[in-house]
Amino acid sequence: MTTTEQHSGFKQIQVEDFRITEEPFYLPISDEIELFETAYAQKVPVLLKGPTGSGKTRFVEYMSWKLHQHIGNVEAEGVPLITVACHEDLTASDLVGRYLLEGDDTRWIDGPITRAVKVGAICYLDEIVEARKDTTVLIHPLTDYRRLLPIDKRGELLESADGFLLVMSYNPGYQSALKDLKHSTRQRFMAIEFDYPPRDQEAEIIHRESGVDRAVAQELAKLAEKVRNLKEHGLAEGVSTRLLVYTGKLIAHGIRPRRACQTAIVWALTDDIEVQRSIEEVVTSIFDE
Amino acid sequence: MTLSPDLVTRFSAELRGFGSSLPDDFARAAEAVAEVLTPEEVERWAQSGVDLANHSLRSWEAAAEYFRASPDMARRVGFAGLQHWVDVSTTLSARSSLIAAAFLKSSPSALDVLSAHELDAWSQQGDRLCRGNWKSIALAALYFQTSPALFQSLSLEAVGRLVDIIDQLTERSYELATTCLENSAPIFAGLHAADREPFLRFARAVTRASWADTRLYFERGPRLIEAVDASQRATFLDLASRVTMAVGRQGFPLFADAATALAEVETADHAELLGFATRLAPGSPQAAMEFLKSAPFVRTRLTADQMQRWAETGAEILTVEHNAEGSEAFFRLESTRAEEMMRTLSARVELTSVNGMLRMYAKALSGEQVSVQSTESLVDKNIGWMSEASATTEGTAIYLPPFVNTFEEQAANFQVYKVFTTHQTARIEFGSFGYRWAEPGVHAPVTVPDREARRAEAPITVAVAEGESEPKVRGEAATAIQRYFNLFADRPLIGGLFTVVEDTRIDAWVSREYGGIRRWLRRLQSYEADHRPEVRTMGLRQGFVENLLRVSLARPETVRWPTTLQEYLLRGIAALKVIEQPGATVQDSAEVAAAIYDIIVSLPNIVADLPEGDWVAPDEDMISIAPGMPSGGGEGEPGMMPNGEEVAFENPPQPEFRGDFKPELVQLLMKLKLQQQGQQQDGVNSPLTKEQLMELLENSAEITISEWAEGDLASSLGMFLSNLEKEAGTPAGDPKQKGEGDTGDQPGGGDGSDDEDLPMRIDYFYYDEWDFRAADYRPRWTRVGERLLDEGDDDFYEETLRKYHGLVMETRRQFELMRPESFRKIKKLEDGHELELDDAIEFHVDKRAGVGPIARIYSRRNKVERDVAVAFLLDMSASTDEEIEKQRQKYDKDDDDDFDGDPRKYFQWLAQRRARQAIEPPKRIIDLEKESTVLVVEALEAIGDSYGIFGFSGYGRENVEFHVIKDLDEAFDDRVRRRISKIEPIRSTRMGPAIRHTIHKLNEYDAKVKILILVSDGRPQDHGYGRDRTEKEYAVHDTKQALVEAKRDGITPFLITVDKEGHDYLKQMCDDIGYEVVDNIDSLPRRLPTLYRHLAAE
Repeated sequence: MTTTEQHSGFKQIQVEDFRITEEPFYLPISDEIELFETAYAQKVPVLLKGPTGSGKTRFVEYMSWKLHQHIGNVEAEGVPLITVACHEDLTASDLVGRYLLEGDDTRWIDGPITRAVKVGAICYLDEIVEARKDTTVLIHPLTDYRRLLPIDKRGELLESADGFLLVMSYNPGYQSALKDLKHSTRQRFMAIEFDYPPRDQEAEIIHRESGVDRAVAQELAKLAEKVRNLKEHGLAEGVSTRLLVYTGKLIAHGIRPRRACQTAIVWALTDDIEVQRSIEEVVTSIFDE
Repeated sequence: MTLSPDLVTRFSAELRGFGSSLPDDFARAAEAVAEVLTPEEVERWAQSGVDLANHSLRSWEAAAEYFRASPDMARRVGFAGLQHWVDVSTTLSARSSLIAAAFLKSSPSALDVLSAHELDAWSQQGDRLCRGNWKSIALAALYFQTSPALFQSLSLEAVGRLVDIIDQLTERSYELATTCLENSAPIFAGLHAADREPFLRFARAVTRASWADTRLYFERGPRLIEAVDASQRATFLDLASRVTMAVGRQGFPLFADAATALAEVETADHAELLGFATRLAPGSPQAAMEFLKSAPFVRTRLTADQMQRWAETGAEILTVEHNAEGSEAFFRLESTRAEEMMRTLSARVELTSVNGMLRMYAKALSGEQVSVQSTESLVDKNIGWMSEASATTEGTAIYLPPFVNTFEEQAANFQVYKVFTTHQTARIEFGSFGYRWAEPGVHAPVTVPDREARRAEAPITVAVAEGESEPKVRGEAATAIQRYFNLFADRPLIGGLFTVVEDTRIDAWVSREYGGIRRWLRRLQSYEADHRPEVRTMGLRQGFVENLLRVSLARPETVRWPTTLQEYLLRGIAALKVIEQPGATVQDSAEVAAAIYDIIVSLPNIVADLPEGDWVAPDEDMISIAPGMPSGGGEGEPGMMPNGEEVAFENPPQPEFRGDFKPELVQLLMKLKLQQQGQQQDGVNSPLTKEQLMELLENSAEITISEWAEGDLASSLGMFLSNLEKEAGTPAGDPKQKGEGDTGDQPGGGDGSDDEDLPMRIDYFYYDEWDFRAADYRPRWTRVGERLLDEGDDDFYEETLRKYHGLVMETRRQFELMRPESFRKIKKLEDGHELELDDAIEFHVDKRAGVGPIARIYSRRNKVERDVAVAFLLDMSASTDEEIEKQRQKYDKDDDDDFDGDPRKYFQWLAQRRARQAIEPPKRIIDLEKESTVLVVEALEAIGDSYGIFGFSGYGRENVEFHVIKDLDEAFDDRVRRRISKIEPIRSTRMGPAIRHTIHKLNEYDAKVKILILVSDGRPQDHGYGRDRTEKEYAVHDTKQALVEAKRDGITPFLITVDKEGHDYLKQMCDDIGYEVVDNIDSLPRRLPTLYRHLAAE
């Protein structure tokens, strides 16, 4: 079946056919690549912990691209990656699949997780704690030695294909105790911790991702370090690398640094006027214009 | 003309009956008079005298004065004048011979100023003062005595008006009238001619408004107006008269305050200020005076132009809005508008307005838990920092001066604060206090161990303290930096050098790391460089340091130095440049400072006596000199030393933006801190001994002992030391994490978990108060002190429960019946109230597909946990001490009056009442409050809503007491029970601030429905809660405003009062806010659930 349709202006593809064809930029901070590769080979589900914008999603993409070269997967372009953004109304049928009406008949449609299991993709559940607890229980049989997905409505059991791996992301920072991950769930994963990269590496990332020159990237990384000092003292979360990249992009395309920082960092981070002013003062101390 | 001897004999005989001196007086006068008058006239003149003497019992005294003054008078007025004169006197003598005598005696000197025909008017003025009693006679006599002197400065007519004033005073106090009259002459003589009339006019106004103030005015007035610009005094006095006529009693105090205020303002500005005040006066005299009173304060914040604009706003409130009270409050600076306006106009930046932001800024830069505080608080700690004007840090907090007013724009002054903060933060960030012994830096080789070794060979002695004969040998250093400083003989010099070098390093780091602040750093450096003291009057050593400072301020062109000694300075500058290189550490600073020290000590500290041409202005070489550590020793060419006088070395003043730098004290504090935390640093030279500390403090160049040690040095040091230790014991960082809570008089104390034995902790909060007349808030007008109520015993609570067992059960049942108000939709139910469309479709599809047989397609709104927070605010004013019974009587007088005039019935009633009271003491309002509280607590515990119970009382706006009986998040336990029993009447009822504080507490608390229930016995009242004691409007309006604020914040306020008269003012106060008058505890349980359900339903 042809999965890729070319429309004018956009590309529409089936999730399981999505491939990352070009190497995503990822700057390893420590041994996370090696860890992930081993986990993948050993079929150990992975939990990525870390603050927002610290590179979790990018890392999964990068690994998806990288893995095929090592494993020698049949697909030339890489291991398919299926991403599900979790939210509180996410139901089991949203993940597994449902029947649809078609004329007088019904047709079964696979949900994303079912597809991933079938094609042996990496299934990435982003922000897993946002999902309802009864939904998260669904993945339990997939994550232990059984690697099975029960599909109740069809009365089927699906055994995962070889390349299938469940990866979840989780931000321990801001979730309240109410939304903490259940122990029965979290203890089915190995965890890789992410944090904002050290100043020089972060500068490199900003430079590579945004195209802004190295000096500015360095200043942005410095700013980030200063702003992150305010975490828990006015800010719930430090500034993410992602925001810094956005800022870098604005600067690289002609917006003055102070203004870029104001819109992409200060205002993005907080609504508290006093905290905003404080950060702006840090910005004006670092950037001249 | 000769005198006939016969005449003298004749009249002497007649006069012999009146005292021994009279004939002699006569004889002497006759001789003199005869030279001017004809014998016939003399005859008649003598006869008049005798007639006068015979006129009444003691009128001979007047006659004596008559004779004595006659010769002079005769020459002045001639015979006809004399005749008239004696006629006038005789009339006066009919009143009292004393008055006549005074009149006669003063006449000649009065006539120096008056003309003869004014004598009548003059005498009448004196006559007016005489009312027949002896006090008035004495006063009238005094008048004649002093008036000649008065005429020197006042016209007859003006003196007449003075007499009016005196006369008016006599109605109150003769003593006061006399004093005023006595003082008048010198007072008016002392005044400028032009000021006399206005002074008198104001005197009249004061006397009319408040007679007692006349004395004060006469005593202090002249001195008060002396401070006013000479050309403006009349204007000022006239303004004061006008004001006094309008405001009465307040007139003089306003005048005195305004005059005192004017004294603080430049006289050149008086004309403008008074001009403006005069403009205000017709609309509101009070506003005019308040304006003058505030002027000095306002002038410290605003320039003349800004003040003008500020004042115009106040004037507009008066002229456009026609709100006199508002404009008075504005000028009294008791209005938010006035403050706002001043803040916007002023270039001055207050620390209080930026400190929260700077604190976060400093935290961001340093990554440490630094706090930002006012230098005042550091000086108060008395741990070695003395200056309130310069920024500094002691390693954990940044201290900034309370305000900055360096430049004329607000934005610029804020930048000054920012540079201050950045520099101090940078000291922490770039490790100014982290000096470690003998650790290598990046740019300079380590020399300290060698230096120490050399020292050991030739041990130096410490400068001998006064009174000590034996020089002491230095002991082991307490800190690394002290060990470093110990290497040098001249402590102030090395201290100053280290400061310059380290500050240079910090500035270089800041410039490199914070490109954005560079511009302002440069501007401040430049500003400082332009304000440096003259080098040429300094000793060479001091001049050397000063020049280094200028170089470090990036202004080498301002350097001045003897040409012959250029080499020295060049080597110094080259060394200084080393520290500006990237990566330099505090270790480098220490080595560079040491190297420069070596250069400097080879120079004598003399004031070089050189001609202009022998001073180098910097050349290219100097400006572009490359960094380099000096090699070799500091031997110069001694032959080329200029001549001059040797002076004591003193460090040049620190640039303001760099502030105080005390590394030795900071390291000591850190060390003490570690020691108190029980963590010993590498275990080398610890713990610190008392002797070590003493030595450090005595030798440190960072503390000027003379500044703080008065008297006994050892005990001062001891106290100082204990201050330091106390400081080291307090945890670092922010003392006020929680915002406004300002820990007051009592020390906050430890972790607060076990507060049984700690002194009562009071947290202070400030709130605005609503002034309905001004239609504006009075900023930070009231101070609310929050504290826990003392604990009583358990009995009361238990007793009440027993007593009202039935009621308690009933109330509880009522509350339990209440249905919760908050619902949440629950989906995917098999049964429910609503159909969920999405689920229904899915079910339909699944059914078709033959799967999913369970129809979970309904939803229901279900109860969740209640989310209500209620605060009970109890009136604990003294009036709640009143018995309810009595109060009831007050209102129900008529009902009880049915004894039909039968005393037996009355006594019967009385006996019954007594018996009742014997069993059960009369119930007071406070008891009702307490009992209700018990009921409410029981009920609320049953439904599990969050609730707080607070009491309020106090006296005056500064002392509103806020007692916490149970805080919102506190669990109900025995302690709360015991506190309830301690609820007692205390003082006044200032409701507004108490309500505002409760709002604050509720706002902090997270709940969907918030309720504030105020239980009071009557209307709000407090000292100063209104214009005067009887005024109630102000208090009622403020309370209403506070209730409106509550509504604005989403809190439902409700009032319960036991005041039966409550309805009238409650209606006004509550408007659309609910209230209820309850006078019987029995009705509470019935009412409460209904009320509560109603309130909590929103």
